[in-house]
Amino acid sequence: MRALLSDEQRMLKEVAGQIAGTSGPVNPGDLATLDRSAAWRALAQAGLLALRARDEDGTPVGSGVEVAMVAEATGAGLVPVPYLGSAVMAMELLALAGAEEEAGELADGVARAGVLLDGNLEGLAHLPGDGPWYGWDIDGADHALALLDTVDGTRVVRVPLGTGFAGADGADLTRVLARRDAPIDPATLQTVGDPLTAEDLTRWEALALAAVCADTVGVMRSAVTKAVDYAKERVQYGVPIGSFQAVQHMCAEAYVSTEAAASATNYAAWAVDALDPEEALLAARTAKAHCAGVAREVTETVMQVFGGIGQTYEHIAHVHTRRALTNRQVLGDEGAQLLRIADVRLTGE
Amino acid sequence: MDYRDTPEEAAFRATLRGWLTENIPAGWDKVEDPEAAARLRRSWHRTLYQAGYVGMSWPVEYGGRGLSATYDAILNEEAGNLNAPPLPSVGYLGRAIFTYGSEEQKQQFLPSLLSGEVQWCQGFSEPEAGSDLASLRTTAKLDGDHYVVNGQKMWTSGGQYADWCMLLARTDPEVPKHKGISCFLVSMSEPGVTVRPIVIASGEAETCEVFWDEVRVPVAQRLGEPGEGWRIAMTTVAYERGPADIGFIATYRRTLAKVERMAAERGLLDRPETRKQLARAYVRGEVLRLNCVEQLAARVSGQQPGPEGSVAKLLWADAEQSLQHLAMDILGADELTGVESGWLSSYFTSRPVSVYGGSAQIQKNIIARMLGLPR
Repeated sequence: MRALLSDEQRMLKEVAGQIAGTSGPVNPGDLATLDRSAAWRALAQAGLLALRARDEDGTPVGSGVEVAMVAEATGAGLVPVPYLGSAVMAMELLALAGAEEEAGELADGVARAGVLLDGNLEGLAHLPGDGPWYGWDIDGADHALALLDTVDGTRVVRVPLGTGFAGADGADLTRVLARRDAPIDPATLQTVGDPLTAEDLTRWEALALAAVCADTVGVMRSAVTKAVDYAKERVQYGVPIGSFQAVQHMCAEAYVSTEAAASATNYAAWAVDALDPEEALLAARTAKAHCAGVAREVTETVMQVFGGIGQTYEHIAHVHTRRALTNRQVLGDEGAQLLRIADVRLTGE
Repeated sequence: MDYRDTPEEAAFRATLRGWLTENIPAGWDKVEDPEAAARLRRSWHRTLYQAGYVGMSWPVEYGGRGLSATYDAILNEEAGNLNAPPLPSVGYLGRAIFTYGSEEQKQQFLPSLLSGEVQWCQGFSEPEAGSDLASLRTTAKLDGDHYVVNGQKMWTSGGQYADWCMLLARTDPEVPKHKGISCFLVSMSEPGVTVRPIVIASGEAETCEVFWDEVRVPVAQRLGEPGEGWRIAMTTVAYERGPADIGFIATYRRTLAKVERMAAERGLLDRPETRKQLARAYVRGEVLRLNCVEQLAARVSGQQPGPEGSVAKLLWADAEQSLQHLAMDILGADELTGVESGWLSSYFTSRPVSVYGGSAQIQKNIIARMLGLPR
């Protein structure tokens, strides 16, 4: 039992941290001017978009642990690139479907894909069915992946984003969102790869949830660090506000919630490839329930520590909160996860 | 990274499980008489010792097996899973003695501590020195080759059954408060030592107050140098909150299973709110367990215990207290009208979890220090 990163994993974490640390906004205004493709190229060159590609034996190049480290780094840096949408969620769908060529294009960073989520952002869109749908994390992508029930089973399909979608005013300023209300005609959709098994879908959900959790941990950790640094410098009544116990305890509570989220997420990330799919999914739901449960409170605490300035649009705090609030909802919030956990534990479903 | 047992750990766990299944004293948790319960704990300690399960992570030269703390964690986990009596906590006291003790002290105290022949208690807190432990007032005045101890200690758990006490007393009132404290190893049968049980809100005598009246302690029984008491106490406390002591996690899981059964018996599993509450209790337990597992890995890899223990302590208090709230909510009036018994007592027993071993507020202060926030 060694819940510790290996040397290789620590190196990868460092690389991801270096790229992500210089690719995100310092202030919200930077989001308009940042070179988003430079960050994407850097991630591609470091091989970080290819972690879920499969080697000759069909094994992922990188495990859930590596994916989570990159997701945490991009979350911490508020990096406005579709790492979760393209390199994790879409990539894993293609890899599970055995669509090697399409997966290879995403791995190289030459193509991008998003995912199509249901109207409540709670799950991958399952077609046919009624909308609305959202193309989520689709920056630079011309299509989003969804699931389609066919006579052959559940298949991955490409849903073109060019027509029928309208840009949505998403809360998260670091991801691109589009909405579709018009019905989707399954006959027009292009299927990709082989049908997915129930086990594939369970594994996919475990990975996707773990990655969203890791992103959320990054968003929270860097937000808490910024608040703590501010509390050391901001002087009122002639002393740093961080010397007041009320402020110290707010920071300590946010820190505890965040570190607990990290512990649950690290295990979920490891479980993706190491445990049976059902166990991996339970670990992922557990992590998501905790992360979703604390994400709002932690980022609100950070805004509170920043006081008046933390409430302004020019300040970075709300960018953390917006990304945290959206992550909280994507693939199901705390309540949704808890009900599914209860199904497994209380009724053995 | 691997959360699974290594082959060695798995083999150890399997052997241990078999041993526990055969050796856990039947009906131990039904023993009502406190004296009988204390005798049972003592004999359980000896049984564990004879099987080589006490002090596994101690250095071999002091009677341990030199194993990693992972093995202590496995013991704690399995003992909890199989509902064994509480494990003796010799780790922190042993560490204090083999880190700070003289050769004679190590020879005199370590073997009997390990074997359970001698039971120890900890004389730290006082009526006027709780969170602010360093302000303690019990004095030890040098008189020839003895110290003379006067004062009062509080929250001395197991004091009524202990043979010896690790005691903190002020030896120098002239220096700053942290620097004037020394540590002593004192027999509880010395004249002038009086023990009175303290009944906590649950109605049970969980702990004691101990009065020290002109108690003479040989200088040779001072642990470490004069004035070194604070440092020794802090070492002790850091190991007292050790990540290997994860038996409480298994206990938590057992309690949760009971609460789940109780909800099922009362037909409450159709209520989404109850389902969510039970799942949330599961999540809290898992988050706590995984946080402890990470800390254990850090410790085993050579990191000294630090303030991360405060994170686990806060998570534990929250999980334990929330679970007791949930049990009470499920029972409704039945616990308050005497229809059901036992849960009110465990509810009150969960309240001091956020007080003892450093209150929740003190833990947050420690974390604030670690974050570098100014005093």
